[in-house]
Amino acid sequence: MHVIVVGCGRVGSTVANELVARDHDVVVIDRRREAFRRLGSRFTGTTMTGVGFDRDVLTRARITDQSAVMAVTSGDNSNILIARVARETFGVERVVARIYDPKRAVIYERLGIPTVASVSWTSARALRHVLPDPGHSDWIDPTSTYALVERKVQAATAGVSVGRLDEAGLRVVLLTRTGAARLPDRALLVQQDDLIHLLVRADATADVDRALVEVGAHR
Amino acid sequence: MGILRRRRATSDGPVPADRSIVTIADAPPRRNVRVCGQVTRMRARPTSGLPALAVSISDDSGTAIAVWTGRRAIGGVALGRRLVIEGVATRRGDQLEFMNPEYTLLVR
Amino acid sequence: MKVVIAGAGSVGRYMADQLHASGHEVTLVDQTPAVFDRFGSEGPVTWFLGDACEVATLDAVSVADADVLAAVTGDDEDNLVIALLAKQEFGVPRVVARVNNPKNEWMFNEMWGVDVAVSTPHLLTAVVEEAVNVGSFVRLLSLEGGDARLAEVTLTEKSPAIGSAIADLGLPRESTVVALIRDRHVVVPRGDTVLRPNDEVLVLVTGDAEDDVRRVLVG
Repeated sequence: MHVIVVGCGRVGSTVANELVARDHDVVVIDRRREAFRRLGSRFTGTTMTGVGFDRDVLTRARITDQSAVMAVTSGDNSNILIARVARETFGVERVVARIYDPKRAVIYERLGIPTVASVSWTSARALRHVLPDPGHSDWIDPTSTYALVERKVQAATAGVSVGRLDEAGLRVVLLTRTGAARLPDRALLVQQDDLIHLLVRADATADVDRALVEVGAHR
Repeated sequence: MGILRRRRATSDGPVPADRSIVTIADAPPRRNVRVCGQVTRMRARPTSGLPALAVSISDDSGTAIAVWTGRRAIGGVALGRRLVIEGVATRRGDQLEFMNPEYTLLVR
Repeated sequence: MKVVIAGAGSVGRYMADQLHASGHEVTLVDQTPAVFDRFGSEGPVTWFLGDACEVATLDAVSVADADVLAAVTGDDEDNLVIALLAKQEFGVPRVVARVNNPKNEWMFNEMWGVDVAVSTPHLLTAVVEEAVNVGSFVRLLSLEGGDARLAEVTLTEKSPAIGSAIADLGLPRESTVVALIRDRHVVVPRGDTVLRPNDEVLVLVTGDAEDDVRRVLVG
């Protein structure tokens, strides 16, 4: 995948190297050339000096709607500008912004931009927003019967009730909406961009995405 | 941090939403409110070439507009959908306009 | 009117003084202690030390009751975020924001809650051009996302408009003469006002009418 990482601080350089290690095509953007030293010699991606919400810079970074963008500068405001330009001007769907101020994070989540708080930041947590990993389970029970998986609700599934998902073998145990987590009751309708933790049969994790679309189609 | 000099008596700012729903006609602008209604109109409302979705929501008392910036569609939001909108509205002319409010889909 | 100004640099302080002198209730917000210490104790305007990008600060200065919020810091990212918070979280009817870098001007519109974008470079250029090049058509302000523009022309003796009444000029319908500055007085323009050399004409132009207006006033 083509991933653009904006901000080459400790966080940005770490995640850029992880992405390279996973064979992704990585472009790192920072305002200051000196920041790229943090990447180290094993980094095989591209670097670009510039402002991450500048449309010309992003174009030169080969941004398309199939790219992923991670806004991880040290400034909340920069990160939100980067994320919105990526999403709204270039149609990028896989975006994540690092945010320090939790109150601002809620507001940005309402704009449809997933945020990861600085204090709970890990590369793994952030990468889950931009790298689809359908096979990954957060937890599998000791008998390997059930697995806990996380999904972001797409438009196709929006409007389906938690009860209906349960009937389709997709039990929603936790629902996170605009940054707030809750135990959903059966009548709740899931919405686009909701993060849902599903308990599914361990042998069916590969079918989860298809199942979510199918339930949506037969609403 | 806030050091205030010679500040006159002022309000406490927007109060947290009372969880009860008010009618659109009674909803005060500039305060966090919840209204419930049905989608009666949907319009893509591009600004300077960038997408925005403007949705008219009506209850028995009137109509308000919810605008979501940067998107052309929201899953589940279609004509006839009932939903709850929560946010702070600006008065535009004689109508309330919510910018990127929280929303909750209800059964049609 | 209650006006909150975010950014107490020379622009913000100047605006605060002007608005206060006109009888408006003004609060200035800045996050720099040095600025607060140096200027905050002078004059009758209310000052607040805090970061206007934080909801808590905007709350504390009662943006919820403000008629106008002007985001005029020297940082475009801050101005955009302040504008967004003011419009989206506080429903401020009129949000004005300063554009520092013309490359960012494209973002200063409804997408970020901005009603009026003021471009410092344009204004500065206008001031310089007025001193250097009387007779040219200078764009001062963009309103409504660029669709309406306030422009200024100082008429020279060669201007084709000299000696004509405003009503007889043949100005296009998408334009209005909003003010006339003559001998340092503001003249409210009427249809029968006859234009003279050195008149400074302020015109509001919408749509594509700029070229026609220029032709009528400059030649």
